[in-house]
Amino acid sequence: MSTVPAIDSVPAMSRWPWLAEFLAGERRAWIFVGKSLLAIYTAAWLAMWLQLEQPATTMITVTIVMNPHSGMVLAKSFYRAIGTLAGSLFGLALMSVFPQQRELFLLSLSLWVGLCAGGATLYRNFMSYGFVLAGYTAAIVTLPAINNPLNVFDSAVMRVSEVLLGLLVAAVVSDLVLPQRLRMVLRQGAREQFAKFTDFVRGSTGGLIPRAQMEQVHLASVRTAVHLEDMRASVIFEDPEANVRSTRMRLLNQRYMAAGTSFQSLHHLINRLQRGGNPAVANTLITLYRPIGVALSPEPVQQHDPAVLAARLAECVAQLPAQVAASRASLVEPAVLLEFDTGAALLQRFATELRDFSALEVSLRGKQARGTVERVHFRRANDIAGAAIAVLRTFLTMGVLSMFWLASGWAYGASAMLLATIFSGLLAASPNPISAATHTLFGYVAGMLAAFVVVYGLLPGSDDFAALIAASAAFLLIGPYLTTRDTLPGVGAGYSLGFVYILALKNPMVYDPTHAFNDAIAQVAGIVLAGLAFVFVPTVIGSAWQRARQVRRMRELVALVANAPLGGLAWRFESLSRDLFQQVVTHTRPGSDESRSLLAWGLAVQESGRAVLELRRELADSHDLAPAARAAATAAVQAVGRLYHQPDAVRWHDADAAVREAIIATAAVPAVRQYLYQLHSALRDDESPFAMYIPPSSPESVHAT
Amino acid sequence: MPHEVAIYGVLVPGLLPVFLGCLLLMVLLDLVVGRLGLYRHVWHPALFRFAVFVCLFGAAGLLLIH
Repeated sequence: MSTVPAIDSVPAMSRWPWLAEFLAGERRAWIFVGKSLLAIYTAAWLAMWLQLEQPATTMITVTIVMNPHSGMVLAKSFYRAIGTLAGSLFGLALMSVFPQQRELFLLSLSLWVGLCAGGATLYRNFMSYGFVLAGYTAAIVTLPAINNPLNVFDSAVMRVSEVLLGLLVAAVVSDLVLPQRLRMVLRQGAREQFAKFTDFVRGSTGGLIPRAQMEQVHLASVRTAVHLEDMRASVIFEDPEANVRSTRMRLLNQRYMAAGTSFQSLHHLINRLQRGGNPAVANTLITLYRPIGVALSPEPVQQHDPAVLAARLAECVAQLPAQVAASRASLVEPAVLLEFDTGAALLQRFATELRDFSALEVSLRGKQARGTVERVHFRRANDIAGAAIAVLRTFLTMGVLSMFWLASGWAYGASAMLLATIFSGLLAASPNPISAATHTLFGYVAGMLAAFVVVYGLLPGSDDFAALIAASAAFLLIGPYLTTRDTLPGVGAGYSLGFVYILALKNPMVYDPTHAFNDAIAQVAGIVLAGLAFVFVPTVIGSAWQRARQVRRMRELVALVANAPLGGLAWRFESLSRDLFQQVVTHTRPGSDESRSLLAWGLAVQESGRAVLELRRELADSHDLAPAARAAATAAVQAVGRLYHQPDAVRWHDADAAVREAIIATAAVPAVRQYLYQLHSALRDDESPFAMYIPPSSPESVHAT
Repeated sequence: MPHEVAIYGVLVPGLLPVFLGCLLLMVLLDLVVGRLGLYRHVWHPALFRFAVFVCLFGAAGLLLIH
């Protein structure tokens, strides 16, 4: 891989480079703190001015949605608004169905909150907030009105107004005041993706890439692809230009993934030919590969300019067929033509995909978005079992709390239920919920203590809004500041929530220490119970069990590709396989046996899945194929699908035999045959996970027969 | 324009449908302007969009109430 000259934009710092770094970090943190305080107080002031019942709800909403990146706030606010409306409608419906039967009411509410928490685990972006909020709003709308069902409608309107006001203020403040744009990060990421990929392709003209390096590159490229998709989903809320380019960005990412897969397949093939005693073919392919490298190497200043590269690549693609024909004629041994044809076809496919990728990058960097492009989606692989466990856990938590509340007649049960609802949802998606719950609880208690000091020590005697700010700002800013520290996850959020809850700003203010203490105890009980539930029904996110399931699902993608209808299957396969890979990789220790096996499977799935897909497309397109040849090829596809579904020695033999028979049966159709050969060589790759099934003395060549 | 409108028997402020309509208009405007890349000529696009929205909503609200 050639190296890009690093751009040192930062001039050599004087004596204390760490000081400059520290100050830059602090600056970002304090900007965020300032914006948070501004948003919280503006929201509180507006809520009081509009004479809403509980300005505290508005403040809590702002506290939850504030995030250093503006795109994030807008995205969160958008999904939260949807969640809020859905939740309040459900709460109203529930109250009107069970106004008198409290048991049934609480049972249904627990189930709803459970379902929302389960939904939250299904999404790794801010859509999960929508689910958390749908549960939370149903609870805040109905629980305060539970003794007085006739009030539920007014209560719902008030809560929804308060929450929406909070969302609006948070969105406006974070977007207008010193915004830190996620768009820049996305643009930077997309440019790096392009530069890194072209650099790598250019640097690999030597042909031989060790498998270990290939694995690392695959790992990095998967991470980029998934990360860019995550960012794209948020940036479209931040920037109207990104929004109109959204379809194009999706397609770009898909083309990137497709080109990456072809590139890997080509290099696997060359590596295998070189190891398997056919270096002549490998060298011919490497010679053919060189023009791509040349096309990617204009003047050094233009090396990352997609417009230049796209033009040069288009020229290269146009010339490739003639060069392939010339090299083919120069091969003396006719026996190696199958290998050569497979490699040459892969090479041309890769060159075409690379050209399309660059051309799309050119149109994305243009000032205007012209025309329309194909609509593709990045499919996410969700684990339903994980979500089901979250539903069960939350349902049990809420059920136990409800029963205790009903049996004991606890006056503050509603507060405990409310807090349990919020944190069940928020913690459900956390990979380490027990420690997160402990941190949050710690922060929450600290926040409540601070709020006690403010409410009963400083606030009495103050009589206007400025005095309120003066009394509480110093304590409030601790929360947002702690949020910016990565070493203390959850503490900042817990602190802010606890502070704002006990501050319980009302219109007019009520001072009632007994009520506040009872409320505090109930809230802590709610959090403790939500955290405790994870001890009894442990989280499955990132557990060995879930990882094993996900690896199996990734393998089964090949079976899916072998059987599912062809429409849109390519995009689905490329994104699903990467999404699964990324999910497993984040929870696997690098360098462990598990990680090695995962990487090996990832590469194998990528190569064989794509080959099966292309083979099926070819079969669907060639109508004049002999029935016997078609049957043999279909049988080979099925056998490979079965092998990936459940790999073992018997199935490997079946697949190997079926593919070999199909190669013989399709001798007259080179277009189909090359994919079969690719499958065959992937099955016999002694560095793939199938290495252990390959018998030591079986016939390697398919030409002898 | 009445100050309150009834939707299925629920009284909501008359400005609410106006607000939603302006939001929709803003989304359409964003689509067009974003496609033409005109926001690049503005110093602070977010502030500009917010101001445009305030103008739209203010004008529509005043027109309808008077």
